[in-house]
Amino acid sequence: MSSPQPKPEEEIRIGVYVCHCGLNIAGSVNCEEIAKYAATLPHVALAKDYRYTCSDQGQELIKKDIKEHKLNRVVVASCSPRLHEPTFRRTCEEAGLNKYLFEMANIREHCSWVHLYEKEKATEKAKDLVKMAVAKAALLEPQEEAVVPIIRKALVIGGGVAGIQAALDLADTGYKVYLVEREPSIGGRMAQIDKTFPTMDCSICILAPKMSDVGRHPNIELLTNSEVKEVKGYIGNFKVKVLKKPRYVTKDCSACNDCVKECPVTTPNEFDVGLATRHAIYTPFAQAVPSTYIIDRNICLNKDNIITCDKCIRACERKAIDFDMKPETVELEVGTIIVATGADVYDPASLVEYGYTKYSNVITSLEFERLINAGGPSGGHLIRPSDMQIPKVVAFIQCVGSRSEKGGRPYCSNVCCMNTIKDSLLIKEHWPETQIYVFYMDIRAFGKGFEDLYKRAKKEGVIFIRGLPADIVEDRKTHNLWLIGENTLQKELYKVNVGMVILSVGIEPQKDSEVIQRLFTLSKTSDGFFMEAHPKLRPVDTPTGGVFLAGCAEGPKDIKDSVTQASAAAARAGILMSQGKVTVEAITPLVIAEKCQVCGLCTRVCPYNAIISSKELKKTEVIEAACAGCGTCGAECPYEALTMRHFTDEQIHAQIDAATEMNANKKIVAFCCNWCSYAGADFAGVSRMQYPPNVRVIRTMCSGRVAPKFVERAFARGAAAVLVSGCHIGDCHYINTNIQTQKRVERLWKKMERLGLNKDRLQLAWISAAEGEKFASKIREMQNVVGKVTKEEIEKSKAMTKEKAG
Amino acid sequence: MIAMPMRMWRKPLDTAKVKVPEGEVHIIKSRCKGCGFCIEFCPKEMLESSEEFNERGVHPPKVKDKSVCAHCSFCEAVCPDFAIYSVKKECKDGC
Repeated sequence: MSSPQPKPEEEIRIGVYVCHCGLNIAGSVNCEEIAKYAATLPHVALAKDYRYTCSDQGQELIKKDIKEHKLNRVVVASCSPRLHEPTFRRTCEEAGLNKYLFEMANIREHCSWVHLYEKEKATEKAKDLVKMAVAKAALLEPQEEAVVPIIRKALVIGGGVAGIQAALDLADTGYKVYLVEREPSIGGRMAQIDKTFPTMDCSICILAPKMSDVGRHPNIELLTNSEVKEVKGYIGNFKVKVLKKPRYVTKDCSACNDCVKECPVTTPNEFDVGLATRHAIYTPFAQAVPSTYIIDRNICLNKDNIITCDKCIRACERKAIDFDMKPETVELEVGTIIVATGADVYDPASLVEYGYTKYSNVITSLEFERLINAGGPSGGHLIRPSDMQIPKVVAFIQCVGSRSEKGGRPYCSNVCCMNTIKDSLLIKEHWPETQIYVFYMDIRAFGKGFEDLYKRAKKEGVIFIRGLPADIVEDRKTHNLWLIGENTLQKELYKVNVGMVILSVGIEPQKDSEVIQRLFTLSKTSDGFFMEAHPKLRPVDTPTGGVFLAGCAEGPKDIKDSVTQASAAAARAGILMSQGKVTVEAITPLVIAEKCQVCGLCTRVCPYNAIISSKELKKTEVIEAACAGCGTCGAECPYEALTMRHFTDEQIHAQIDAATEMNANKKIVAFCCNWCSYAGADFAGVSRMQYPPNVRVIRTMCSGRVAPKFVERAFARGAAAVLVSGCHIGDCHYINTNIQTQKRVERLWKKMERLGLNKDRLQLAWISAAEGEKFASKIREMQNVVGKVTKEEIEKSKAMTKEKAG
Repeated sequence: MIAMPMRMWRKPLDTAKVKVPEGEVHIIKSRCKGCGFCIEFCPKEMLESSEEFNERGVHPPKVKDKSVCAHCSFCEAVCPDFAIYSVKKECKDGC
């Protein structure tokens, strides 16, 4: 950073700009009055109001003033910092001022838009907000952002179509890629499927060339039959341990199949969903990559290093079988990671009404794919497992395990409707006389070419009946099935006799997805899939820097979407690697060595393992690149030995003091986390939800930054009520830091109880970015509390600071 | 080892077609000295000690379940007294 930095002894000169935002702010707030007021505040060198501060002219004005009036701090009172903080930070930088010397007062989303009809009170509130921003600005320090180098190698976890695409894109760009797959072959679910919708391409025919590209790409190192066991490090510098399990067959294998003929043990083949048999030595399917065979030691006769059966060894001309192979741990150093671990299939056995596992002719859509596939166990004949005959009447049941709160998953699995339509057309193609019923809730044909396929199925005579069967009963003699239910469009009952039922099963998260979640400190949505950093604007990033998502690991999606997302993830990872370095926002903590007692409390609460206390070395160290800047360590430290840069104790105290200077006994001090609650309050503003104007919001990156002493200070200053607000438990932007928030607030409540204070004056609320109304109603609710607080109670609560919490 | 999730509850459709070698174990009881190697090392665990005594005063092995023999012939290899051997069963349906 080449900008001239104000020295500590330098006089602080703050420039304040009050934005009209057309009439968005000026409509319910008197901007000139605020500017005049701001000019009277300490350290303010000049204060102006301007029609559109974010315009080029507005920015030019600020730049000119910085130079002419020697401003060394800038405050803009306008919209949310979530919107224009980057804009004005850039303006400051262009004028040679460190961007961390800029502060914003949110007088639009948090003021003018939510107090549309109370101009006087809104103006008073806006003055307070400006005063708080000025108070913080006076204490701002210039910051240097750390630069972290990025290793130009990538790791892709999962060798389904998403992982394959991501690996190929990165490898073609020129980066070294490690592709880790836990199955013996890459290919994933797509390899199991017969045809793809809506184009009816042969699935393996379009996938196999990509698989072999991966196998022979000079930039890709393929690790199959392998699992990621440990991940250390941070963006750009990950150290990953991969357990490579032995195949017991060397690369000399020519896939001639001679060994299989000799192998005396068999088991159902997982790839064919148990519909076909495989031997202990096998390849999961003909197009497998790598084509090297594998020995399943769970069923092989050779146990515990005793070779009792050497039939395969004798059959192998190339001497490729080696029972002495041992598992090995490979250590990789990579800069970026793409998680493409895919999804599981819903197991319908728990829905007893459909009789799966009880009636042999009830099959799943995945079993159907293997049956209709020419390379499958029946050679492409859709045969009934009970008598190997081709059924004349077939029924599909939709939403099996999807869109159901009981016995299933509440979300839509995205692919099943189109998959069924495709399957019905495949049956019609091979056996045109077959009568096909589809029982559904809604048919969702939302993608490109989907509606055409749906129309085609209807034209071909597929009968769509709205209303899922309530029960399936088997005819014991014929093994035909009776489907009983209600046609909800015609309001009449149906009883249909079919030869085979295909359950269109949904997609669910991998059963062991917690392992990956823990390794990479990812978050999950309520559905159990991995959560993206932003659902609209960063859909393939994760909250963990340098880790990206592709395919069904992020949510149910079809092949096209998986491939699209994989290419996007590869591009995002490629951007980091091509830059070769990354800057980390300078909001990480600094350790004040003299105050630190190396107690280790900060280490305990850090969700990123980014702060290390070493009793031997007698010091605490922050790994800046791993730190996300939540500030919970700063809140936890009992010795004030951690300074959270840009959100220091002094700065937050200054904000609290400014907010409570006047009429504190009528005010609510609200601490809102940047990602959920502050954004929720912004959303209330955008939606023009009106609420009482006596709340003063202080933004922290995470609710975990809110130290008990902040709350105590607000009460000591005479505030009527305090709100601490963050993301819902499980949705925390900093993994689970809000659990610390909860603990701290609970401790404070206990203390208030002990002191005989009304606990309602301190509230904890989980408010997401979409819950503007929840924020507004919380403030309305707290207004009732404020109205009842007596002078005596306010005096009494000043005692809080005198006694340490907990 | 394999993580494919669907439960394996069906009998594979090709069960009748997939042929695996089957063996028939023959025991020459009089030669057995009761060391128990064949019982211990049979990968199919299809042998057990019998109740009867042979001429040498030991319990020779007996077949628990003859249908599972994979004709690996390991019993034959480990027997110090050439007292056990396996014969490959001829396939009935002309395979």
